[in-house]
Amino acid sequence: MIVDVNTFLGQYPFRQVRCTTAAAMIDHMEAHGITAALVGSLHAVFYRDAQRGNEELLEAIHPYPDRLFPIGTVNPLYAGWERDLRWLTEKGNVRAIALMPEHHGYRLTDDHGQAALKQIADTRLPVVLTQRLEDRRQRHHWDVAADLTQDDLVAVATAHPTLRMLLINWVGLNAEKLRAAGLRGRCLIDFARLGVVGTKDVPRLIEVLGPESIAFGSHMPFDYVTASLVKLANVAGLYADDFERIAWKNAQSFFGLPLPLKG
Amino acid sequence: MSTFPRRTFLKTSTAAMATVALGLPGSRNLSAQDASPQSPPRDWPELPGLPKGWRSIRKLDAHNHVMQGVHKPGADWSAVERTVEAAQVLGITKLFCSRPLTGGVMAPIEAVRDANDSVLAAMKRYPGLIEGYCFVQPGNGREALDEIDRCINLGMIGIKLYNQFKYNDPAVYPIAEKCIDVKIPFLGHSAYLTDPKIKATQPKTSNALEFGELATRYPDLLLILGHINGGGDWEWAIRTLRDFPSVYLDTSGSVLEDDAIGLCVRELGHHRLLFATDQTMEGGVGKILGADLTDEQREDIFSRNFQRILDRRSK
Repeated sequence: MIVDVNTFLGQYPFRQVRCTTAAAMIDHMEAHGITAALVGSLHAVFYRDAQRGNEELLEAIHPYPDRLFPIGTVNPLYAGWERDLRWLTEKGNVRAIALMPEHHGYRLTDDHGQAALKQIADTRLPVVLTQRLEDRRQRHHWDVAADLTQDDLVAVATAHPTLRMLLINWVGLNAEKLRAAGLRGRCLIDFARLGVVGTKDVPRLIEVLGPESIAFGSHMPFDYVTASLVKLANVAGLYADDFERIAWKNAQSFFGLPLPLKG
Repeated sequence: MSTFPRRTFLKTSTAAMATVALGLPGSRNLSAQDASPQSPPRDWPELPGLPKGWRSIRKLDAHNHVMQGVHKPGADWSAVERTVEAAQVLGITKLFCSRPLTGGVMAPIEAVRDANDSVLAAMKRYPGLIEGYCFVQPGNGREALDEIDRCINLGMIGIKLYNQFKYNDPAVYPIAEKCIDVKIPFLGHSAYLTDPKIKATQPKTSNALEFGELATRYPDLLLILGHINGGGDWEWAIRTLRDFPSVYLDTSGSVLEDDAIGLCVRELGHHRLLFATDQTMEGGVGKILGADLTDEQREDIFSRNFQRILDRRSK
């Protein structure tokens, strides 16, 4: 069984992506042996009113309650975001809350970011922080979002010591700094941009933060799912004892996914 | 919270590649029985989302690097060892490596020779696994051509240019002519950079159109556009290469976006595609496995297309 913690649903404004519907996403997951996915809304990233994107996401994945688990997105600069956050938590049954500060026009460390992080921590849901959606070197000239930085990540982890974090699509993470910021045991990191062999990013994170800190993530629909499956296959060979944790159990426990998932 | 035994990083024996020991306390070790340069680990579990037996498909990595200076006594080989380990695990049969001088530096020929000496040292240490490209800078003039002769005579298979000169610059022409004379491939760093700040840091990086201009001038040149996914607008590059049918492209780069490989095949045909990783080794293999290809197309991209280029020299 595999649970994918790094997926998005919807259209992307700057290039064509495949699998833009829930049905197509399910087909793609089945073709790659992926049982379930945490899924965020791309429309919530790009709409002025993120909540409309959340509503579209929840409607789209409604037919797949045991396969697709929603991530809500809030924009703390927009009217009514606190009400949206309550609704997502109480009615939307989301498993986590994403912040997209670069796309919504604030920083994690400014007043808006701090307010959102505090309220998310109060919900006890994890926050989802995506370092980037695509590489800056190919960006559309309307795409001005910079990558999130580890310095900001460490600052907010320190400032919000109970907040759990899903870190997706990150590269260049310094495991020691994350541990010093108190993230051991309260973060989950996907390896869509990290290496198991070669660069050995994943072994370094496991050594410092423990195997409970790592989860499978593909960055679907942006990236080839098989790129991350090769890494998972190397986890299976090199870390046989921890394979199931990294493939799905860490995600299940971090997000409280209902059992049994169909394998 | 569970207690997890301290793990050491994968460590490769610095002796012959037939003996590999990956030190991972509490985890599976890759032993000499598991792998050799030509045989990836045999008994590792298969995942249903990947083609069965994918590790055993022959793979020639047409664009990789020797990441450290390793030719002097007491050199640190760890980065090379990590690359070699990854190749074994992934079933990459050969690594075609260079060591370019980066950062826009136009270096004296002594620095160029020094860089190439590290590649030669790696070839010597891992015979049959690491092959070399000779890095040259057109600005070194006659000495650059002499360096090509030196490296080819010592067993390298081609040349690698970085971004010291645009490839449509006449300074590059003697290099191209040399490659045609000795029937070796010319692998060039490429990108169509759209971010002004990044572009400003490497103003002489060549894009696909500039590769095309060189290819138009030298239709017999075995010209390889490096890392179609190495940063930059890969869709623009693929569309541009439609007009320049003699240009090959390698599939490497840290960008793993779906459906870059499929678009290459549809727009350019699969015979122009050469598997490569440029150090993004797992992802580089994974995207070829995930592209919509026939088994024959996949095997061509993984090895046969590049093998045909290498074979031209022996004919």
